[in-house]
Amino acid sequence: MGILYFFTSCYFGFVGAALALLMRVQLSVPNNNFLSAFYYDQAVTMHGLIMIFWFLSPIAIGLANYFVPLQIGAKDLAFPRLNAMSYWLYLSGGVLAVLSFFVPGGTASAGWTTYQPLAVLTPGTGPTLAYLGMVILAASVTIGSVNFLVSIIWMRAPGMTLAKLPMFTWFMLFTIIAMLFAFPTLIAAFALASSDRILGTSFFTNPGIEPSILWDNLFWFFGHPEVYIVLLPGFGIIANILPQFTGRPLAARTAILVATGLIVLPLSFGVWMHHMFLTGIPVSLQGVFSIATIAISIPFDVITLSFVESLIRGRAKFATPMLFVLGAIVTFIIGGITGVFLSSPVLDRVFRGSYFVVSHFHYVMVGAAIFSIIAGIYYWLPRITGHMYNESLGKLHFAISFIGFNVLYFPMNLLYDMPRRIFTYPNVGDWGLLNGLASVGAFVFALAQILLAYNVIHTWFRGPTAPLNPWGSPDLEWTSHAEEKSPAVGAPPILPTPPVPPTGGWIGQLATTSGSQAPPAPSPESHGTHLSSRPLELSMAALVFFAGAAFYPGWDGIVLMVVGALIAVYALWGWGVDDMHDKFRGPPDEDGDRWPFSAVPKMKLGMWVFLSSEVVLFGSFLGAYIFIRAATSSWPVAGSIHEIPLGTFNTLVLVTSGLTMFLAIQAIRQGDQRKLLGWLAVTFVLGAVFMSVKIAEWTNLANSGFVLGSNPVTSLAASAYYVIVGLHGAHVTAGLIVMLYLMKKTAGGHYTKESHEAIENFGLYWAFVDIIWCFVFPLFYLL
Amino acid sequence: MYSGILAVPPTTGTYDNLLNWYLTFGIGAAVIVITMLVVFSIRYRDRGQKTPMPQHKVEGWKIVLITVMISVSVLTTAEYQTFSSFGNIEIPSNATCIQNTGMPCIQINLVAFQWGWNFTYPNGVFVVDHLYVPAGRDIVINITSRDVFHSFGLDMLAEKEDAIPGKVNQVWFSVPTVQVSAPPDVPVYCNSNGTSCLYLNAIKCFELCGVGHATMWANFTVETQAMWNASFGGT
Repeated sequence: MGILYFFTSCYFGFVGAALALLMRVQLSVPNNNFLSAFYYDQAVTMHGLIMIFWFLSPIAIGLANYFVPLQIGAKDLAFPRLNAMSYWLYLSGGVLAVLSFFVPGGTASAGWTTYQPLAVLTPGTGPTLAYLGMVILAASVTIGSVNFLVSIIWMRAPGMTLAKLPMFTWFMLFTIIAMLFAFPTLIAAFALASSDRILGTSFFTNPGIEPSILWDNLFWFFGHPEVYIVLLPGFGIIANILPQFTGRPLAARTAILVATGLIVLPLSFGVWMHHMFLTGIPVSLQGVFSIATIAISIPFDVITLSFVESLIRGRAKFATPMLFVLGAIVTFIIGGITGVFLSSPVLDRVFRGSYFVVSHFHYVMVGAAIFSIIAGIYYWLPRITGHMYNESLGKLHFAISFIGFNVLYFPMNLLYDMPRRIFTYPNVGDWGLLNGLASVGAFVFALAQILLAYNVIHTWFRGPTAPLNPWGSPDLEWTSHAEEKSPAVGAPPILPTPPVPPTGGWIGQLATTSGSQAPPAPSPESHGTHLSSRPLELSMAALVFFAGAAFYPGWDGIVLMVVGALIAVYALWGWGVDDMHDKFRGPPDEDGDRWPFSAVPKMKLGMWVFLSSEVVLFGSFLGAYIFIRAATSSWPVAGSIHEIPLGTFNTLVLVTSGLTMFLAIQAIRQGDQRKLLGWLAVTFVLGAVFMSVKIAEWTNLANSGFVLGSNPVTSLAASAYYVIVGLHGAHVTAGLIVMLYLMKKTAGGHYTKESHEAIENFGLYWAFVDIIWCFVFPLFYLL
Repeated sequence: MYSGILAVPPTTGTYDNLLNWYLTFGIGAAVIVITMLVVFSIRYRDRGQKTPMPQHKVEGWKIVLITVMISVSVLTTAEYQTFSSFGNIEIPSNATCIQNTGMPCIQINLVAFQWGWNFTYPNGVFVVDHLYVPAGRDIVINITSRDVFHSFGLDMLAEKEDAIPGKVNQVWFSVPTVQVSAPPDVPVYCNSNGTSCLYLNAIKCFELCGVGHATMWANFTVETQAMWNASFGGT
């Protein structure tokens, strides 16, 4: 899976880079007409979307997929089928995004930031395809982050306490937490935008509610954490591999972890308005967000200086990974300091929307993130392939990349007066010279990556056999592997003594303490009984259904949607049947270090994690609704549209179903299968009543003129009601389907007093759906 | 009157001072840290030493504390400098304008559209893609948009503000004399008697707004008060 992720993301990286080169050709000289504005805007938009969402994050996820389980001494991730699911969804979303280039009218062209209302007003199916691709991608990320979070918390080998966790895994943990809470907002944003494009709702088209500001808030609440989602895996790689090349321990490991986990992570969700200094927010708010933004640079100062300190009194070996690590730190210093400039609302009056910003985030997202990921690729290549890469070629790759990178992006700092995303420019000032330089640098930088591709492929097939632990690393992915492959047959298999690394000293000490309890981890490919084609089928279903949605209401769109829905039914039905026959019974979970969640079962932890991301999802939708309500002075009076008595009745029905679900759980806790079946049936009936009343209400509303249409206020109220209440209804419906399945399984006697995890977890889900309704009901019916 | 140093508008002056401060500390910090990185990695490189590795403390809280202290003091000063320059982004009241110039603020309404700028002056006259202002007055521009998100940028005065449909945002500035310093990408053309200067394409759109974004530029002209009043002044 890791390898699949890796190569797929390299493919998307290639597409993104090709788009970037097209733009650099266009901008190389003033008044050029190689690309028209129409094509340039598409290139600039899709370059951003593809590079960020289909290349940068997934390539880190690919490495994590391979090495996090190895580093924590687990056989695989916690939920292998979910892992497959998130890969295939990632690919499906990417296919939609790439397909969107080829429909008439072209693809999205409103920038990767998708500013509204331009993005919603741009006609064509291409943008819709791309935005639906984003929704699928975001869903894939959410599924993936549930899986990784549970894995890192729950699947650690005995003795692999949090304190011993390798830095790469630690930083992936931080990344995953940021993903878990940031991506649901992205889903909400793109779902609302797609709904405007497909269904004709008016979230972003009614100027009365300042829709641009609504979008900015949603997008940047996601967008700023996203920067750290891209950056932190790279920092994890730096922190993980730096000691192997300096021969001394990482300085201030705890301080780095505290700075990242306790300061960067929470604060990253509290600085988004620095992207909105010029949108007319009050000056005092600009001050607050300026302070928050500048504060977030302090933990990064600590991290950077700790990296620098990690060199002191070491014995630095300048192998290729080390060179890329140093390169990443240098570019991060430059990108970080230009970021401090941008935190000042006064300086932002010139820099906003200019090439200074472009330079800043490329220094961070290309320099710091990509250089450190390349370091990781060279570092782990011997572990993945068993072969050693070509060192001189690697060094040459670094030299050309580093020079090309700086020739490409440094001139952009000096283009602080040139607006970004303009497809051409007149020959004024030094714009021609600086742009020409940047274009030359772009080609040098891009061509240098051929060396990387060649080196990886050559290593894979022709490289000389690598030592089992070439860097003398104390981490499990090397030591257990070395133990497994070592010819010393006499060594006890369960308590291996790690080979004494050549650098000796502290690494040896750490290795003996951590490695001694860890069992050897088999290769991650051994999925065994977990293999299933259902995730692939479901992702295909999503691909076809959403492709159809983009063409809705055309008949071809409707046909595709029906086909997609049928595939989904087939896949889900098949998944259910497979599960009913216990096809996936894997080996029982082994003991491990699970602090602080030792008492929580794996599935339940997964459910909690998933529900916490659902909280953010509904929070984003309801937040958008509250924003709309606050921005509109005229709104239908409570009770004038939605019948309060009926709504109250329905609320009581749903709350009662929560109680009966609880009784069902109580029944099986006492081992009473018949009672369980009974209470499940009552819960199901109550849920079905709730949905029936909903459907009746909707029919009534549609007949009484509560529809999208010419009246802007009614249209807005209808948009919000149908989409957000509809989302809750979809959750209830999904719950009803699962309940049917649980009832069937109960009737077959699958659940006992000791083993009824599924019931417990569904109980959590059902309670969540009830609680969400308790927010939806007053917001839509009573206020 | 063309000899000597050109006047600097107040917002530009404030901005330049602030930028210089940030540049000094920013470049200083970058040079120091990158030098440390390079020097340490070379000074402590592997020379194939046979002696055992010296012991290292795994946690170095001292450096962390020093880093935090230095960062906090530099960044607090930076933030203080920024807050002291907030005059650039706080819109003056009429009283402030009177205090500064002896006269109330001049209000000019701006509606951005795909793809151009429509300036409406106090006397009701409107001009597309050309902003005229009198020298020596405080000017407030009320910015909105008719269709999509644009961003009104007047870099030579260090002012920029988003033009958002359904919302009115403001910027303010004043130009002390007809001819002021302008960056190299803004050509300046003044008339022979020095009563009016044109700053070519000084106004640019800074947010992608569709295929016309690249050319959504406008000219900026500063005139004497008498000249401006004759064409645009309100009653």
